[in-house]
Amino acid sequence: MATRDPVMTHWSRVLLLFLVSVPLTSSSPSSWATMHNNNWAVLVCTSRFWFNYRHMANTLSLYRTVKRLGIPDERIILMLADDMACNARNNYPAQVFNNENHQLNLYGDNVEVDYRGYEVTVENFLRVLTGRHDPAVPRSKRLLSDEGSHILLYMTGHGGDEFLKFQDSEELQSHDLADAVRQMKEKSRFKELLIMVDTCQAATLFSQLQSPGVLAIGSSMKSENSYSHHLDSDIGVSVVDRFTFYTLAFFEKLNMYSNASLRSLFNSYNPSLLMSTAYYRMDLYQRPLSEVPVTSFFGSVMKTVHTDAAYTGVSMPSEMEGSLFIEDGEHHRIMLENEPNQENLGNEEAKEVHCPYHAWLKTLEGRLDDTVADILLQYGFATMILLLAISSWLSS
Amino acid sequence: MAVLRHSAAFPFLLLLALLICIPALASGVWLNDGGGGVEEEEGEQFSEELFLKPLPDRKVLAHFHFQSTAPPSAANGRHHHLFPKAIAQLVQKFRIKELELSFTQGRWNYENWGGSDPISSTNAKPPGVELWALFDLPVMEIDATWKDLTHALSGLFCASINFLESSTSYFAPSWAFRSNVSNLRYGALPREAVCTENLTPWLKLLPCRDKAGLASLLDRPSIYKGYYHSQRLQLTSTKSIGIVLKQTLTVVLKPDVQRNSAHSSLDKPIQPSWSVSSMFKKNVTGLCVPAKTSRIFFELETNMVVELEKLGYGVSLSNSIFDLSPNPVRVFKESNPLPGRSNSIIYEYINYSEHEPLDLGMKWKLPFIWSCSQAPFHVSRFLMGSGNERGSIAISLQSTESNKEFLAKSHGCNVQVLIFQVVPWYVKVYYHTLQVFIDGKPQSVSDVIEKIQVSPSEDKLFPGTLELMLRYPCSVQSVALTLDFDKGFLHIDEYPPDANQGFDIPSALVTFPNFHSSRSYVEDNFSLNSPLLLKFQEKNVVRSYTEALLVPLTTPDFSMPYNVITFTCTVLALFFGSLLNVLRRRVGEEERLLNSKDTTRIRLIPLLLSKFSSKLKGRTDGTPKSSSLLGSKFLLILVAVLAVLWHYISN
Repeated sequence: MATRDPVMTHWSRVLLLFLVSVPLTSSSPSSWATMHNNNWAVLVCTSRFWFNYRHMANTLSLYRTVKRLGIPDERIILMLADDMACNARNNYPAQVFNNENHQLNLYGDNVEVDYRGYEVTVENFLRVLTGRHDPAVPRSKRLLSDEGSHILLYMTGHGGDEFLKFQDSEELQSHDLADAVRQMKEKSRFKELLIMVDTCQAATLFSQLQSPGVLAIGSSMKSENSYSHHLDSDIGVSVVDRFTFYTLAFFEKLNMYSNASLRSLFNSYNPSLLMSTAYYRMDLYQRPLSEVPVTSFFGSVMKTVHTDAAYTGVSMPSEMEGSLFIEDGEHHRIMLENEPNQENLGNEEAKEVHCPYHAWLKTLEGRLDDTVADILLQYGFATMILLLAISSWLSS
Repeated sequence: MAVLRHSAAFPFLLLLALLICIPALASGVWLNDGGGGVEEEEGEQFSEELFLKPLPDRKVLAHFHFQSTAPPSAANGRHHHLFPKAIAQLVQKFRIKELELSFTQGRWNYENWGGSDPISSTNAKPPGVELWALFDLPVMEIDATWKDLTHALSGLFCASINFLESSTSYFAPSWAFRSNVSNLRYGALPREAVCTENLTPWLKLLPCRDKAGLASLLDRPSIYKGYYHSQRLQLTSTKSIGIVLKQTLTVVLKPDVQRNSAHSSLDKPIQPSWSVSSMFKKNVTGLCVPAKTSRIFFELETNMVVELEKLGYGVSLSNSIFDLSPNPVRVFKESNPLPGRSNSIIYEYINYSEHEPLDLGMKWKLPFIWSCSQAPFHVSRFLMGSGNERGSIAISLQSTESNKEFLAKSHGCNVQVLIFQVVPWYVKVYYHTLQVFIDGKPQSVSDVIEKIQVSPSEDKLFPGTLELMLRYPCSVQSVALTLDFDKGFLHIDEYPPDANQGFDIPSALVTFPNFHSSRSYVEDNFSLNSPLLLKFQEKNVVRSYTEALLVPLTTPDFSMPYNVITFTCTVLALFFGSLLNVLRRRVGEEERLLNSKDTTRIRLIPLLLSKFSSKLKGRTDGTPKSSSLLGSKFLLILVAVLAVLWHYISN
């Protein structure tokens, strides 16, 4: 390395810069120049009704964790779809527990719920993410993040293939989520975004994401369920989900100053304990996970930025910028080398299996759209005869 | 020379410094000492008080009253010492003259907890959120300001008060809520949940929060375990006094029953003994230093005093019925209700010790029964009718004991009753169907109703409101009003996620303008000091809120579209099946085929068909001969249904 001639290093530098700039074409380069200087958390419980107590307990556990690790209340948007703490069915008024031993009251004395009850809708959720509010909406209900923000987005509820149900009446689809995230990126509302979802088939919710700087963790793969951890016989319902339970188990050991990396969080999920396979989508994320501390999403930084002159904002000297670019580029190369990960390949295979059927259906639909009724009749006949033949063949 | 002048100047300067200092020191001492009152009169003030009262149904009423005042803020600018800045900004920005916001869970039990005392007539609130505000603005700007205000309050108190922004949910009452004001807006959300997250920001408005002083009693689980809790914020802003912020929290708690072996054999159950620390599971920790006064009041109600005197016990701290544990600082009696009657008694305690928590307690020794002061009429509202199409609302007023006393006092009198009711647009009330029954007999409307104002609802725009003034003789025992309504349909997007639970109609407010709930106490100059007792002395009319109604509406049901799809599919399949049969079937050829069974040329489909029909024949042994034909037909139809269904599903 030391003997490498300066021309070569120059060229490699240019190459690295090129490598970095390729995925950056959609976003402004300035967002990479800004440092990570604040943290936000959006915690969403999308389920209504008493028997979904565990979803609220999940969300409140995460709320407590991020608060303990240093994100202040004004930077947490908490959305709870129902009132469990003062629910008439709750044997322990104004208290919510996530464990049978009732050691820890999650509701505490200092909870600030920003959106609750009927306010938790897909519309409001997307408004929070994209920042398009009515001018009267108070600051406490807005996500006021900027290009230096790390955002943790945690969602829990009932979901399925590429959707998440809100209050049993609406759905958030993977396309909606991807669009909102993309819009956030365009508006430079975040530097890095960690999406953590605890629902059935959580992995499918991430399939449409495209924006760089997004990291996603789901509790289960496609066609897998996410299960609850245990039932509290005093409260009468399950109190926590497995994925969240083991996430909390990981965080309970940490404090604000811990250096545990995201990789160690991801490695802590044991499929046999979760009864599902935790899914990570890392191809949009540039930094190596083993070097990113969990506190960069679950905690808060208050970095001070040195500037020579007063009021020049957070732009850094050009030298530092260059060094940052190289660093990022190297990380990116490392990723390119060892990133073709199994999960993604598996997904593509699964898609190909389903493909011919979909294609056939699509062509059929396309034909049907612009033809007259008699062709439709003919198609109907054709399919019927086909089916008739198959069924009679089966019966013989 | 210069040196000499220096040395001479030194003592002179010292003297000068002393001369300057002395008045300053003296004034400082004077300020700290006697003239504190003068200084504080000018500045911001805060006081905290707790009012306790045993209730006849073995419960205890605890009423917290925190009051902060800010003088007109020319001197201070935008800075405040004790007064919450958030509230001051709210008042300035939205030009609020008066505002009241209440969060309530549970229903005030007017029969057992009182209906005509100051607490019940001003602090009993309808369930959910109730907000009204009086603005100092031109009428044109009020609606926009109201919208901004609801959003600001929803952010401040972590509640969905912003649902009151739409014109379907608020209303400007003209005279039945407050007399003749045009810039008042009223809205209520009966379904709103009330919990810790609403109390915490409310407590953050207090200078000591819940860390010291009386507010430190507010242990969340024990408050929310109670039968009723209502958290209220009341603002008044005038040019002369400045802003007055009254925060009250009214809780009805049931003390834990401690088994008392000595009296377990008695047939009448003994009232449970309680103390402040046992009820709240907490003690008053320390003093809230900024508070001007920090007091606890304990009241023995009028009826209680009467009963005690009947039994021959004097009113004292400990008699053979109960013990009241620490000695009060002061006792004072209500001065004048009716001549020759006993008066309620208030014991006052002052929380002054940093280390010794003030733990007021009441220990019952014998069973004791008394009743509460009641409103002249007991009000209730209910729904009649069944089905998802129409129904009717009924409001009934039943005369109570208290009215009989009133009646005895004056003959040939009339009672006035004001009714104010807001109904959402999807309950379409027909106001011409108003019927009045007095003592069960239908009465002509014009005889009883003195004044009526109706604004009918407009779909998706305005709620329907009814303001009504009744006047009838005092001797009337019961009055009932009925109104018919039709249930409307909402758009599919407007249904809440739990539409099956039904829709709430906010409580109606019934006011008795002839009856007042004011008390006056003998020691006037003392009670002037206490904001709570001053409040009790205000002349307030007696008010009662009715129950909130739950109206079941038709809800979207996806089993119906499913049924429609299934039926249509069946019809289509029958059509296509018979068409296929007609087109494909060649009867002659089939017969020929059947006749020459031993022929070697076999076509696939007829062979399969015949095989299947033979199988069918074999299974159903006793079927007639045509079963093969029937079987194949059945099969055809079945397959056609399957095919069409499959096509629909895959689309």
